[in-house]
Amino acid sequence: HPTRSRPPSTDADPRRWHSRLSAILPSLATGCHPVRPRRQIRAATPTRPRSSSRASADLRGRRPSLAMINFVLLISRQGKVRLTKWYSPYTQKERTKVIRELSGLILTRGPKLCNFVEWRGYKVVYRRYASLYFCMCIDADDNELEVLEIIHHFVEILDRYFGSVCELDLIFNFHKAYYVLDEILISGELQESSKKNVARLIAAQDSLVEAAKEEAGSISNIIAQATK
Amino acid sequence: RRRDSPPPPPQDSVERIVEDAAMDLSLNPFSSGTRLRDMIRAIRASKTAAEERAVVRRECAAIRAAISDNDQDYRHRNMAKLMFIHMLGYPTHFGQMECLKLIAASGFPEKRIGYLGLTLLLDERQEVLMLVTNSLKQDLNHSNQFIVGLALCALGNICSAEMARDLAPEVERLLQTRDPNTKKKAALCSIRIVRKVPDLAENFMGSAASLLKEKHHGVLISVVQLCTELCKASREALEYLRKHSVEGLVRILRDVSNSSYAPEYDIAGITDPFLHIRVLRLMRTLGQGDADCSEHVNDILAQVATKTESNKNAGNAILYECVETIMGIEATSGLRVLAINILGRFLSNRDNNIRYVALNMLMKAMAVDTLAVQRHRVTILECVKDADVSIRKRALELVYLLVNDTNVKPLTKELVDYLEVSDDDFKEDLTAKICSIVEKFSQDKLWYLDQMFKVLTLTGNFVKDDVWHALIVLISNAPELQGYSVRSLYKALQASGTQESLVRVAVWCIGEYGEMLVNNISMLDVEEPITGNRI
Repeated sequence: HPTRSRPPSTDADPRRWHSRLSAILPSLATGCHPVRPRRQIRAATPTRPRSSSRASADLRGRRPSLAMINFVLLISRQGKVRLTKWYSPYTQKERTKVIRELSGLILTRGPKLCNFVEWRGYKVVYRRYASLYFCMCIDADDNELEVLEIIHHFVEILDRYFGSVCELDLIFNFHKAYYVLDEILISGELQESSKKNVARLIAAQDSLVEAAKEEAGSISNIIAQATK
Repeated sequence: RRRDSPPPPPQDSVERIVEDAAMDLSLNPFSSGTRLRDMIRAIRASKTAAEERAVVRRECAAIRAAISDNDQDYRHRNMAKLMFIHMLGYPTHFGQMECLKLIAASGFPEKRIGYLGLTLLLDERQEVLMLVTNSLKQDLNHSNQFIVGLALCALGNICSAEMARDLAPEVERLLQTRDPNTKKKAALCSIRIVRKVPDLAENFMGSAASLLKEKHHGVLISVVQLCTELCKASREALEYLRKHSVEGLVRILRDVSNSSYAPEYDIAGITDPFLHIRVLRLMRTLGQGDADCSEHVNDILAQVATKTESNKNAGNAILYECVETIMGIEATSGLRVLAINILGRFLSNRDNNIRYVALNMLMKAMAVDTLAVQRHRVTILECVKDADVSIRKRALELVYLLVNDTNVKPLTKELVDYLEVSDDDFKEDLTAKICSIVEKFSQDKLWYLDQMFKVLTLTGNFVKDDVWHALIVLISNAPELQGYSVRSLYKALQASGTQESLVRVAVWCIGEYGEMLVNNISMLDVEEPITGNRI
């Protein structure tokens, strides 16, 4: 479609996007900051004693500890990714590399071994539920037994939400699985220890969405009737 | 249908789904193609990577077209598709602006999927993220608490230092709101803000301390975590919290530890283990290096350490954290003994996880009470022979730290005996550790030589070059042991000549001290003579 102007397919020039967007949506343009060079974001985070001890551990060599849980990974027995959530900064390339490495490490572990793997100076806590491996990466001095409980907490809530959850549920309703995860963890920290509360909050938000759908449906009904 | 046209493709194949979609499109010009479910089915039905790429390409083209046409009806579905495609590993940069548009829309459903798209498709390094700041500010002030929640969650997961600085005042304000759901999210969001901009820690310390009086568990666990973070970020916050929150923390832990059965928070018979653990962690941060604070928490720590059931993982997780805290603060000796005893029990637990954790903790405990750890030497040695490689590695490191003048000989004997039967992938680590131990305690030269000869015989191929070089240096500087060396090495070579380093060392010795070998010169008491016909 040569006549259509498309947004650039790489993020090489965000400035073009910025001006194009502010033409479409004036509300976004007000109060916006001009695009700043990347280096400022790094400079604003001074290194603290806790992070400097982990210098050699990271993929790039320097990664300040930003969360108890650095990332969550759900992989199937065949190595297919079902869910990933990153609470520390990893670029796309790094993410792919991490997933490949951890899949190799975890999927080959025997069933009787302990649920912790040491990887690049971090610990990865994992547990297998049916055909899925639930993995959470934590720092070397975090409480891995607790993270096992957090994984179980997550699984039980998913089970309650989907009604006997299976892998297919998480494939076809992956966005809902993410909504559930967002009610359990924020910034890699636990948010709610009551399964009942999490279920209640998700249900309330789901019904908001349902109500909006119905409303939209009924309006188009009215229009359809009116224009018949 | 004509005889020479191809048969219709099977129901679930890629071609069939694409055909259906094409039909759909031609009939309904406003339809933007397949439903999410159908796209996922088509991708799963792809038998080759090329097929999958074709499906993804087609979908991306449709989505791009819909985006540039500013299609309203299928934005939601397109964003979901984009996220799925992204999870497969394909580039989805063209969809980033859609996230912003969805977030800026007025309805909850649009914002919900827009914010999700934001946290999945972007990371904090991308400049596009800055454009969301204004939307976030508006949503943080929204009247619908769920929308406020969406904004807090997104900010907490993905904000950069600049966004953190900009929006900190909004988040601070939200800490005071009535709704507990919003409060807990605000507390966690504050954690991220403080991690990104530690200077802001002092702004949060007052609210954080006063929020410790809350009853809602979700708020409590978030606020306790926030306090821990504040202490790490700022000396002033640490002092403030030491002064104002210790009593409150002791009360929280006592209440939850003594509480009767609460079905909502119960895990394996314990009420809210997560709250237990977080409070214990904060107590560690506050009590570290502070005798006053440590004294205040002494009793409750003893109560938790003795009262908590350790037959399920939840209880053990609490005990583990409790032991870490006891080791980290200025604890009484009675409390420390309690802690090491818990670790001793962990060491003999059948559960691999518990043993692994115990070994880890014992390494840290070495700094605090070496003697107590020594008492568990035998069990630790057993762990070196464990079936689980993670446990073996930890145990070996711990054994290495435990070696001293009195126990080095029996310990080394155990390790060398195990060397014979250990797995190949463990042999390298084990060999390196044994060589290192033996070299450290090599004042007893005869013993050193014996151990080195044994190791060379069993796993000489794993012995590093500088190690057997050092061995040769020692032999050449010890004239009284040269005869013994050459004879022992000769015997070893006869028994097994497969290890290259052994062969090298033996051949060198025979070359240097051959006449001692042939003539049994300078024999030691422990030796038997080598008879002539053997040579």
